[in-house]
Amino acid sequence: MNISSSDVILLAHAAFGVTGCMAALWVFVEALNARPGNAARMQTAALVAAVCMAAAWICGGYWYVHFYPPEKTLILKGPWPFAHNLFMETKEHLFFVTGILAFLLPIAAREKLYANPAARKLVLSVALLIAITGLAVEGAGAVINHGVKLAPLHDVSKGGR
Amino acid sequence: MDSAIGPESPKLTAATSGFVLAAAIAVLFNTALALAKDAYPPLNALMKSLTGHHWTTHGLVDLILFVVLGFIFMRTRMAEKIDPNRLIGVFIGAVITATLGLALWYAFV
Repeated sequence: MNISSSDVILLAHAAFGVTGCMAALWVFVEALNARPGNAARMQTAALVAAVCMAAAWICGGYWYVHFYPPEKTLILKGPWPFAHNLFMETKEHLFFVTGILAFLLPIAAREKLYANPAARKLVLSVALLIAITGLAVEGAGAVINHGVKLAPLHDVSKGGR
Repeated sequence: MDSAIGPESPKLTAATSGFVLAAAIAVLFNTALALAKDAYPPLNALMKSLTGHHWTTHGLVDLILFVVLGFIFMRTRMAEKIDPNRLIGVFIGAVITATLGLALWYAFV
């Protein structure tokens, strides 16, 4: 088995990202049922979301800076250049939005949601926006990965004609 | 009348409202900076020269802006004066605008 550090970092990035999204959804559900008894659990989930997104940011950033350039070249030569031009360009900047929202979540979750409708609405909004933008970023990652995979196949099919 | 917008309704704390406003500004700034560096290569080169990669600089600037503005708004209690529902509306609008701005720019420009 040959697993490179690039693979480990990339998979850790995706895994932390998905876990962060799941934690945000956990906060969303807790906020829907906000009461004094689940406040501490919701704050823990919000912290998990923030820590996971920070880890996804560090892993993804390291991979993007150190390992992505050759893959970008492949994508741009392949049949799906939009995997970089649209999906990676949007993903690499949209991720900052998800990250900022994830850092906001534990601050907002410290409010007494069970007694404050505005705070509850805020936490529901932040958690849902993290899940939506985070999953969009995950989906973009899949398109980018497919763009890389198609490039050599495209070369082979052209060479076979 | 919606109890959430009545004068007696609970407000957000100075920390929460401050960081919500800071987040709204930071996400819009993030999109503006992405578009600016894409349209103006010297800016991209300057950002690259600061940390070795434009993306690293971009992320650090976003984070610093969010934290610094958050603390300023918290200390001055500026955002606390805004109606919470209005602040949440501005925040959601900012996130949607920032997200669509990025996607549409890279799709069509």
